[in-house]
Amino acid sequence: MKAFEWEQPRDWGEAISMLDPRDLTVRVMAGGTALMLMMKSGVFQPTRLISLQGLGQEAGAIVQEAQGGIRIGALCSLTALGQSSAVATTAPVIIRTLKTLSNVRVRNVATLGGHLAHADPHMDLPPVMMALGATVKTVGARSSRTLTMSELYRGYYETALEPDELICEIVIPSQVGRSAVYLKCSTRAADDWPTLGVAVNVKCDGDVIEKARIVVSAATEKPIELVAAQTLLEGHSISPSRLNDCAELALAQAPLVSDARGTASYKKELLRVYLKRAIQIALKGTIS
Amino acid sequence: MSQTERTIEIFLNDKPIRVTVGHHQTLIEVLQAQGLTGARESCAQGLCGCCTLKVNETLVSGCLFLAVLADGQRVQTIEANEQALDEVQQAFIECGAFQCGYCTPGFIMMVRALLDENPDPSDEDIGHYLSGNLCRCATYPEIIKAVQRAASVRRVPS
Ligand SMILES: Cc1cc2nc3c(=O)[nH]c(=O)nc-3n(C[C@H](O)[C@H](O)[C@H](O)COP(=O)(O)OP(=O)(O)OC[C@H]3O[C@@H](n4cnc5c(N)ncnc54)[C@H](O)[C@@H]3O)c2cc1C
Ligand code: FES
Ligand code: FES
Repeated sequence: MKAFEWEQPRDWGEAISMLDPRDLTVRVMAGGTALMLMMKSGVFQPTRLISLQGLGQEAGAIVQEAQGGIRIGALCSLTALGQSSAVATTAPVIIRTLKTLSNVRVRNVATLGGHLAHADPHMDLPPVMMALGATVKTVGARSSRTLTMSELYRGYYETALEPDELICEIVIPSQVGRSAVYLKCSTRAADDWPTLGVAVNVKCDGDVIEKARIVVSAATEKPIELVAAQTLLEGHSISPSRLNDCAELALAQAPLVSDARGTASYKKELLRVYLKRAIQIALKGTIS
Repeated sequence: MSQTERTIEIFLNDKPIRVTVGHHQTLIEVLQAQGLTGARESCAQGLCGCCTLKVNETLVSGCLFLAVLADGQRVQTIEANEQALDEVQQAFIECGAFQCGYCTPGFIMMVRALLDENPDPSDEDIGHYLSGNLCRCATYPEIIKAVQRAASVRRVPS
């Protein structure tokens, strides 16, 4: 790696003031696990890094809200996320997902903010957060705003964040009455990036599905909500034919891409199987 | 001093040291230069665990961890308490849980932390916790036996 300057701001405002919107070789580093890989391979050569590690405990805190949602500071490590009782009661799908997300040492260092900002479509928590209806709060030089996950992701490694805008908080709304599932399928080694990710979140009244969210990732350039497929489920109970119709609609709608992990038509077959499986598991989770 | 390096102080295996590091240098590079070769870089991408270090109470991959981040922190390597073998090292020897030994320091560091967190792990817990550690000699069955042995030794009050 090549030499660079290093800054350690004490708060978000200072961090933003150190960024230079015209110079993309100046970047923030949170856990650094993704950046280090890019720096080591020469894909990214910074002139200055701004470490977010000096922002203090508050910047990574998890707060349970009275209405049942949770707020998570962007600097929260993936390990702290996985050990949080608030997360376990509100969105157990996150705890289950973390079990096969990377390894102990990476989770100890990686942060939720860095995880969501990196925008590699193979990553596990972006589709999960999208299915949960999470939003990110940002701070920027000019303004602060709230983005849905669909608004955050623009494309392959591309977000809607301005060069001088940072994610400071992730908000997960109340999940009362909902049940969420994330399945991933790796077709090469067990610890390779998945070929396909599917996240499903359903809310039922008896056996009628009131609300459904279906998200596909890894096989697409960014995590995508499959709106037509989820609308087909809403207001109905599930039957084998409705499940099939939903899967066919999802296949028609999902912009699957061919790459080293398989062709788009192969991923179509995977999506058909995994989507039905995920919906069935999610529905079982609503029976209490 | 140029703006691309700085002098940091680390409590390395409980001894304070001062060292000037480039901002781009990883903790593993700096420790190797200090003559501590137990943690070593192998995959260089966080996957294999050969570079496992403890920073304060947290296990990290030294290959992905910049040395500047260790400024003012406690860093522990396999070389800490070298005078005596602990129950984990003893169990690895008794169970033959290595062949060439290249991966062993990383496994020992991980297993100590695993047993601190979970004194009675199942084989599945062990496999799961150690999924980010690779042994090219494939001594995995012996490693699992060694972890179970160390756990049972630790559970018996001495
Ligand atoms: C060995 C290994 C295995 C892995 N396996 C998996 C896996 O199985 N599943 C999976 O999903 N992921 C996996 N990952 C990826 C891992 O989840 C990410 O590297 C990690 O979550 C990134 O977080 P970080 O804090 O380290 O980010 P950093 O590396 O610090 O930052 C990543 C990017 O986000 C930007 N950034 C950081 N924080 C903010 C912020 N608050 N606001 C705006 N921008 C910000 C940085 O400038 C950079 O561009 C793996 C990584 C490694 C090294
Ligand atoms: S060398 Fe760091 S994990 Fe392999
Ligand atoms: S003993 Fe040789 S790599 Fe593990």
